[in-house]
Amino acid sequence: MKAKEGVLEFLQKVVTLELTAVHHYLLHAAMCGNWGYERLKHELHERATEETAHVSKVIDHMLYLEGAPDMQKLGSVHSGDSVQDLFKVGLKFEQEDVTLLREAIAHCAKAGDFTTRHKLEDMVVDSEEHVDWFETQLRTIKQVGLENYLSEQIKK
Amino acid sequence: MKAKEGVINILNKILTADLTAINQYFVHAKMCENWGYERLHHKVRDRSIDEMKDADELMGHILYLEGVPNMQRMNAVQVGETVPEQFKLDLKAEQEMLGLLNEGIVHCTKVADFTTRHMLEDMAKDVDEHIDWIETQLELIEQVGLENYLSEQIKKEE
Repeated sequence: MKAKEGVLEFLQKVVTLELTAVHHYLLHAAMCGNWGYERLKHELHERATEETAHVSKVIDHMLYLEGAPDMQKLGSVHSGDSVQDLFKVGLKFEQEDVTLLREAIAHCAKAGDFTTRHKLEDMVVDSEEHVDWFETQLRTIKQVGLENYLSEQIKK
Repeated sequence: MKAKEGVINILNKILTADLTAINQYFVHAKMCENWGYERLHHKVRDRSIDEMKDADELMGHILYLEGVPNMQRMNAVQVGETVPEQFKLDLKAEQEMLGLLNEGIVHCTKVADFTTRHMLEDMAKDVDEHIDWIETQLELIEQVGLENYLSEQIKKEE
């Protein structure tokens, strides 16, 4: 089926962002594993898997709309020297994701593509939960102290 | 543990090739699914997942050697517009990967990093198997004809 105007462009932006997210979370998970924070490693690995599932869904949908997904483009992958840094980078990333998805949702509504809108709405639910998760971690660190927080991340 | 000279550099090159391969297989798998070739869709998707596991292992090993994994770089993702074209591009990617792995294995021997060498040898074995699989598919297409080959790809095996 042919896509409505501008929809494929938005979906492509989402693919690029999600692909960057996959790289980003794989790296952060490996770093946490290297530091000995098994629990965080699994949480972040899980996140990479979820983002992969998102990419998969969006690519399917782009092909269905007769588009050609570009798997070449990649945004900046930021890293950090501490768990807190990783969380801050992750939070910023998810916030950008939410903003992009909201723009795309608004565009689909305007263009009258309600199936694409519905798919993006499912995705934005996940992204908002991710934002919430990072905010919770950063707040917990403030409340219990970094040492206490980190020592809880050693065991899965 | 500190890495021997040049090892991190080679591991990062292999990581880049792996990250590229993940995306290439991913999009090829999806295209096969969109064309209705369920069997190929699953085969190629599994390959993408294999590459992801390799990337994961490489990152872990680079960090263990106190290096920084480069997740930013990617080579050209070569997308084929037909099934045989996809096979040819994937074959090329796998052959390049094998070249890199072999280089890495030789280098690790030279600097006496045998754990890294062992890991790269395991990866090279997988690449060999995949090259063999793609060559078989291309040969099959030659022998039975493209239409017959493709019609066998519509159903996934049990």
